[in-house]
Amino acid sequence: MKKPMIFSEFFRNNGVVMGSILFFLVAFWIIFLILLPQISMLDYSLHPNPINLDAGERADEYTLKNYKYLIFGPEGSSDAFNKVDLMVFVRTIIAAMAVTIMNLFLCYPLAYFLAQSKGGGFVRLLVILLIVPYWINEILRAFALRIIFAPSENGLINGIMMKMGLIDQAYDFINTDIALYAGLGYAYILLMLFPMYNVIESLDRNQIEAARDMGASWTRIHRRVVIPHAKPGIASGMTMVFMLSAGALAAPQVLGGTSSLWFTQLVYQWFNDTLNWQQGAAYAIVLLVASIAIVLTFMKIFKVNMGDIGK
Amino acid sequence: MSSGVDVNLENIWIKFGDFVAVREANVNINGGDFFSFLGPSGCGKTTILRAVSGFLDPSEGRVLIGGNDMAGLGPNKRPTALIFQNLALFPLMKVWENITFSMEVKGATAGERRKRADELLDMIALSGQGDKFPSELSGGQKQRVAIARALCAEPDVLLLDEPLSALDLKLRQHMRSELREIQKRVGITFIYITHDQGEALTMSDSVAVMRAGIIDQIGDGHAVYDQPATPFVASFVGENNVFRGKVTAVNGDEATIASNRSGELVSKITPAAVGKLNVGDDAMMFVRPEMLQMGEGDAKSTISAKVINEEFEGNTYSIYLEGEGGKQIKMAMPNLGNDPHKAKGDMMSFNYNANNAVVMPAGDLASE
Amino acid sequence: MKSNILFGRIALGVYFIIFFGYLIGPLVVMGFTAFNSAAFPSITPWQCFTYEWFGELLKDERILNGIKNSFIVGIGTVILSVSIGLAASLVLTQVWAKWRSTFYTIIIAPILIPGVVLGISTLVFWRQVSDMFGGVALLNNGIFLTIIGQSTFIASYCMLVFVARLQRFDTGLTEAALDLGATHTQAFRKVLLPFMRPAIASAAVLAFLASFENYNTTTFTFGSYPTLTIELSQMVRYGINPSISALAVIIVVITVFGALALEVYGRRKKVKAGEIKKSKSLPGWMFGNIATILLVALSFAVIAMVFTSQSYSPQQCKADYREARDIETRLKIEALQAARAAANAANGDTTEEAGTDAPAEQGGASGAFGGVFAPTNLEDAAGQSDGEDSGAAAPASPFGGVFAPTNLEGSAGQSSGEATPSAPATAFGGVFDPTNLEESSGTSGN
Repeated sequence: MKKPMIFSEFFRNNGVVMGSILFFLVAFWIIFLILLPQISMLDYSLHPNPINLDAGERADEYTLKNYKYLIFGPEGSSDAFNKVDLMVFVRTIIAAMAVTIMNLFLCYPLAYFLAQSKGGGFVRLLVILLIVPYWINEILRAFALRIIFAPSENGLINGIMMKMGLIDQAYDFINTDIALYAGLGYAYILLMLFPMYNVIESLDRNQIEAARDMGASWTRIHRRVVIPHAKPGIASGMTMVFMLSAGALAAPQVLGGTSSLWFTQLVYQWFNDTLNWQQGAAYAIVLLVASIAIVLTFMKIFKVNMGDIGK
Repeated sequence: MSSGVDVNLENIWIKFGDFVAVREANVNINGGDFFSFLGPSGCGKTTILRAVSGFLDPSEGRVLIGGNDMAGLGPNKRPTALIFQNLALFPLMKVWENITFSMEVKGATAGERRKRADELLDMIALSGQGDKFPSELSGGQKQRVAIARALCAEPDVLLLDEPLSALDLKLRQHMRSELREIQKRVGITFIYITHDQGEALTMSDSVAVMRAGIIDQIGDGHAVYDQPATPFVASFVGENNVFRGKVTAVNGDEATIASNRSGELVSKITPAAVGKLNVGDDAMMFVRPEMLQMGEGDAKSTISAKVINEEFEGNTYSIYLEGEGGKQIKMAMPNLGNDPHKAKGDMMSFNYNANNAVVMPAGDLASE
Repeated sequence: MKSNILFGRIALGVYFIIFFGYLIGPLVVMGFTAFNSAAFPSITPWQCFTYEWFGELLKDERILNGIKNSFIVGIGTVILSVSIGLAASLVLTQVWAKWRSTFYTIIIAPILIPGVVLGISTLVFWRQVSDMFGGVALLNNGIFLTIIGQSTFIASYCMLVFVARLQRFDTGLTEAALDLGATHTQAFRKVLLPFMRPAIASAAVLAFLASFENYNTTTFTFGSYPTLTIELSQMVRYGINPSISALAVIIVVITVFGALALEVYGRRKKVKAGEIKKSKSLPGWMFGNIATILLVALSFAVIAMVFTSQSYSPQQCKADYREARDIETRLKIEALQAARAAANAANGDTTEEAGTDAPAEQGGASGAFGGVFAPTNLEDAAGQSDGEDSGAAAPASPFGGVFAPTNLEGSAGQSSGEATPSAPATAFGGVFDPTNLEESSGTSGN
């Protein structure tokens, strides 16, 4: 009853031709680019890999074995759980959270400074300085850090320290994951900064001055006035940085050590090295569901709406 | 120019979900008339206008323009042109392009459009300004461009949605007469929306007074001002003093009420309520401030009250007296050179002519 | 109190240095590696100042092919995601309030979905669709899949840009157009579209950049059409030489140049429109100047680089370095008799390297840059310019025709017309055309 009413209104407002074009484009996007591919991936993950079927297994039947594999490992293995992959998963999630929090603390002061200064020439120059690195390829950015952290005399830090005689063996920034965390933080720092900047900018300066006038300390002003106001922006930034870090592939591939993998690298291996797409799809689903669940949980805890994301 | 065509609204209902914006509107507008819808904001007058122009379809009822049912026709197919409240001039087009936009969409050449634009610019006294952008014009000039743009579409009916509300008082008064002038010249039907009763009364051949989706009264300025159909119309159009009470006697088109504070008062029954007022009914009697005069008259048309304040407004003196329930009674007297000099707290008597007061069944007043 | 403020300022300063050091530092370091003759991209140990890696870069077929694919994908993504984003933003403003948040959640989700997931789901879904229709080649084509996969989330970015702009649109304008007899399509084209034009431009730039640098999604969808980013990742992972840094330098220079030019241009426009009164807002006015000064300085730096690259040769330095290295090695050999075998191997490596370097340098030092930035050369994709011409013209117009839009269109159109493999249909025109280089190196070398 209600649906046709909405549609007729839509076409009335937009005309038949424009309305159809708009409707077609949006429907194409939502159905063929967003919804169906995800469903298709889910469907894939519930099928066995047709190339190496177990005895009595059919390629078109549904199975949970791809998910079981992630948890329990290959059948007949000595371990009760797939320790390696599960560890990678847990490490990815925790490290992504750590990177998110690191970015938050790194960006908050700058976001506050940029938003509360009146946008003079200096600030505009800073903004350009901020944006330019983000017009440069993610791979190249990771590579730049690799040059700095390379674990031999070729690495900038190691090279300098060895020349100065501080160390004589190169320190391995790669396998200690220092380079990886620096790279992940570097990759998405702007996505933390700008949402925060936007909301803090909309805060009336008078509120801060009023609070200061009433004798509030700086920490209290931030805790009681600025941060509550900036909450949607903080949530938006943290959500994006967390999701993108957890789903990052370039930085781990370039900066990660050989012994410690990022979960996306496992997905990548299933797809491109092992050619077991079904297994890879299952891993991807787990990553997607886990990160969305984490974000939603935190949004619930901190009472943030979905509508605040992306502002 | 075309002589105007009739516009008829037949039993129009407009609903948004559960909300009824317009209730049972029946309006017949004669061709070539300047017709106004007058009411407070949110009363549904703009909704009616949008139904006439085709931006929405009424939930029930028909819109007829020149006798043709407009159902299913979009705004671009109707012989109407709308002047928007904020004018909605296209900011990225020059003035002449704005004016001749209706020709552009029909595929006229630039030469034709230029020529027509110059004619219309002459008409609105903006010759040679065609190459400016709307942002370079003053408020009154924008106003005239909007009118020219609407007239360029050669509509049978011109709809105006509070187009003067953004202008300052002087300009507004000037534009009133200019609009009326233009209307007479082009001879098409104008439908004008306003919440300003001064605009409605000075310009219109006919006025419809609306309240919360209902049309209370349709009539010319005199009828609406002197013979209001409802307490709402009486209190919304112009200033009025209200006296409440129960009807004690009805005598033809005259009735007497026992007012709550001033004893028995007699007055004409407003034409719309003749025959509907019975002894014992709750009633309201209205007397305009300028209909009151000092001194005692007939017992049933004399009131006495305490003076609260006196204001000198140049051409008039206004005296405010203590009325019923905290309300004030206002009395306006022309400045004839003799200051009434009423001190605060004095008791004062004043009277009115029963022919100049109206009584009607009690109802809602316009909120102030 | 005073010392407190002073302390605060110092802390702020230190924080700024750390933050921007973190942000800019790696790029600067990478930039320097492009000029170090060491075979592995590094600053330490510094060997010799060289331009040879630019030459290497411009000879790399895979990079050039990657750039071509990146541009094809980028253009496709811009068209698809800008139109989808615009449509979605228009629908969003009209959807009933009750449905709006659901709709918004759906169309904002692609931003939050990890890129690898988008890549995988796109690949898997279109594979299935293709199988359903008996293997339609287009649906498995890397370019198609990459455009589709990238547009999924880039359209969301575009939508956000449009929503911001639409909030300032007076829907009365569309109604006015309709009321004046325009069809809905005419109203869209003549009223809404002109209003949205700035937003469309910025959304297009944003979409192109996002597409150009995308890795996570593309890595699953590219098929047999690797984009530049994919090629870079392969190089970074499997074999690195500083020509990557050279590419980075070029990208950084173009980016900074673009950003500054945009700033100066926007500034001028604003001053012209009277939005900014020059004399009153001094800092803003000064910044306009800073941008201009930087722009000019950057231009001069590039001119100087191009100019010196004509004559500069790192041969002597390299020879010296090798000699020093050899002496060092020899000393080591003598000192560490026990490690003789290992030291010998290292020695062999260096001499071998020197051997392969020598012929490349001839072309790299004089030709690589000389020809690239010569405007005449750009205009003429066949590269029939002579060395004297290009040498004389280069300083006058540092970037040659690279930044002239007409030129870009011209060369792109031209090269797509003739399907010669030597003229890749990229907006860089003939800049990266290897045949071009050889031609000019031959003539300008004398």
